[in-house]
Amino acid sequence: MLENLETALFYILLMTCTLCMLFYWIWLGTKKELVGRLATYLTILAVLVNTAAIILRMITSGHPPLSNGYEFLLTFCLGIMAVYLFAEFRYKLRSLGAFVMPIPCLLLMFIIMSMGPEERIAQAVPPALKSQWLTFHVITAMFAYGAFAVSFGLGIMYLLKASQEDNQNKLSPQGIVARFPSLEILDELAYKVVGFAFPLLTLCIITGAIWANYAWGTYWSWDPKETWSLITWIIYAGYLHARLMYGWKGRRAAWLAVFGFAAVLFTFFGVNYFLPGLHSYA
Amino acid sequence: MVENSKGLSDQLWRVFSSMKLGLALLGIIALVAGIGTLIPQADMNPEKAKAVGQLWQTLGFTHLYNTIWFRLLLGLLCINLIVCSIQRLRGIYHRTFKLTPPAKLVQVPHKNRLEVLGEPAPLQAALLEVLKQKGYRVTLSDLSDTWSFIAIKHRLGNWGSVITHLSFVVLVIGALLGSVLGFKGYFMENAGNTIPIQEIQLSKGTVSETFSVRINSAEDRILPDGERDNWYTDLSILENGQEVARKTLSVNHPFMYKGITFYQASYSDGARFTADMNGKKIPVVLQDQVQSYFQAPGTDLYLVTMADPNSSAQKPSVLYQVYKGNGADPIQSGKLTSGQTIDVQGSYKLTLEGLVGFTGLQVKKDPGVAVIWLGCVLLLGGLLLAFYWQPVVISGILQSENGNQGTLTLGVFSGKVTVSTHEALEHLVSSITKKLR
Ligand code: HEM
Repeated sequence: MLENLETALFYILLMTCTLCMLFYWIWLGTKKELVGRLATYLTILAVLVNTAAIILRMITSGHPPLSNGYEFLLTFCLGIMAVYLFAEFRYKLRSLGAFVMPIPCLLLMFIIMSMGPEERIAQAVPPALKSQWLTFHVITAMFAYGAFAVSFGLGIMYLLKASQEDNQNKLSPQGIVARFPSLEILDELAYKVVGFAFPLLTLCIITGAIWANYAWGTYWSWDPKETWSLITWIIYAGYLHARLMYGWKGRRAAWLAVFGFAAVLFTFFGVNYFLPGLHSYA
Repeated sequence: MVENSKGLSDQLWRVFSSMKLGLALLGIIALVAGIGTLIPQADMNPEKAKAVGQLWQTLGFTHLYNTIWFRLLLGLLCINLIVCSIQRLRGIYHRTFKLTPPAKLVQVPHKNRLEVLGEPAPLQAALLEVLKQKGYRVTLSDLSDTWSFIAIKHRLGNWGSVITHLSFVVLVIGALLGSVLGFKGYFMENAGNTIPIQEIQLSKGTVSETFSVRINSAEDRILPDGERDNWYTDLSILENGQEVARKTLSVNHPFMYKGITFYQASYSDGARFTADMNGKKIPVVLQDQVQSYFQAPGTDLYLVTMADPNSSAQKPSVLYQVYKGNGADPIQSGKLTSGQTIDVQGSYKLTLEGLVGFTGLQVKKDPGVAVIWLGCVLLLGGLLLAFYWQPVVISGILQSENGNQGTLTLGVFSGKVTVSTHEALEHLVSSITKKLR
């Protein structure tokens, strides 16, 4: 019964997500206030539905959402949308939605295409996963990765706008991109979002280490998942420092934000699907 | 000669105080770490690692994270971080505790400036009150001819990056302590057995302690709904045969004795038998795994056993197979229930006494762990200061023409974030003008 409700919520989430992505795109093209508002409302709805789906899953399975890739992806989507919504309200930046919302959309599509129903059902967790530290681990990962997705969107916007300003004469000044905030604001926002997420990613790695020390007696064992989260961490550390060095603001920083998010995705997908791992939990 | 070496150390200092070197090192470390996830590593995947080309093995690509040159990279990064931090300490100290108010208008930051007009005295009073309200620490000028100030909020945020950098050094020291002074090992024993700590199989370090470990019981507990609850081991520590500690541990609930920690890592079922060879009774304990077998003395008969899926608590049973020599197929197999005796190839008689649990315990001594947690706390604390507690520095100077009309020029120092520091300045000014009205 509850399981069926959860499945229904998943499809509602997918639809809401797709719709609001489309509305953000239409809004970007037309600037109709009504469409933009609808897009924002739909995002709020998507966040609610996503939260409900995760809570239902936790009730039916009795543990935090980390026993398989499906549960982790749902949490990831929630993180992205929640951080995005915050950014939209805080900085009045609706155009960002057109670049961020496709990410949860694609993730949900990925679930539909690559995971059969039997891969999505709640699974028993092995004894090693029964630890409070893992709850913190998941929560910090959710917000950190969500924020990195937002900084990715900002990076893309920066690069689009910067390349348009280079060929200014070719494009009309009324173009979509011209309505983006100024390059300086985009750059600074991306920096702030990464600055918000970096301590969280650090906390995520630390709670993972504490848990591993309880479970296996080693706080760090260089397994591919750990190593790739460290690489992600180093890329973002590079991003933060690059901005402090002369000439590394702007375009190069934006590229780093894009690369950083690619590393985030690889930490999840690449490690699970391409690399032989020790523990292949989410 | 002396001058020469001074020149050299200066040069070294300059090299190591460069952030470019630091970033390059970080990049190389990330790259090397990434390569390590593509090549099979010996401690995770020993068979595949052996198949990697000999040259690569010699260069250390199959145990990348333990190689000298990977450690060298970490060491260089540490030196780099220490030098960088020392270099910056003075500046940070001054920017935090020794702020000097501007003496001239040009010293007020000009990128982000606002002006307020008003009578000097009320203006000063309003400014000071608002600054205090907003949690700024204010330093006033002691020059007689101008009135100026500098104010700072969240000043400890200045220390965030130094703490972060040094925490990395602490982490590396912790890891080093663990690998020099610690050990790591593993053993798998059945309930009822005692094993001296000196005899466990080690993958790292050496054991200097001398106590023994007795496994009182090992259990695989299943919940009523069929899910696994946990694996439990009841274990005693024996010093000279005397029990000095006893504890039940399970996955995620380790047990520590004299700095040595025992972790439940795995579990396996097994069985106890008696082999009767012409009246000579030999106790046999076998684990349900291929490597565990019994070779009856004087024969080339090998006995292995497996858990019987239909075994019950009242009438435990196992499946068994007997192999002869190097033969690939068993020459005898079947099921044995508790108390039942069978004849094995006319060589001996085998009786199942009962089932027994085997517990796999990871044993570790790592005196560096406390240092690692300290490093983690510093790292996190430093990052929180750097990003969630960013200092705001506002300074200003008041100039008046004839004593009753003055211009207060305020500027905010904007390091990495221009837009939000500007917001802080605007808030300040609007509060002041509200006060003046
Ligand atoms: C181990 C990885 C490292 C981490 C996690 C790290 C972290 C940080 C953080 C969080 C900041 C503050 C950045 C900001 O407020 O935007 C910072 C600043 C800085 N870092 Fe690092 N860092 C690392 C390595 C290095 C290295 C290797 C160097 C070079 C020697 C270095 C040199 C600097 C410098 C010069 C600053 C400038 C601070 C300022 O101007 O406020 N860092 N670092």
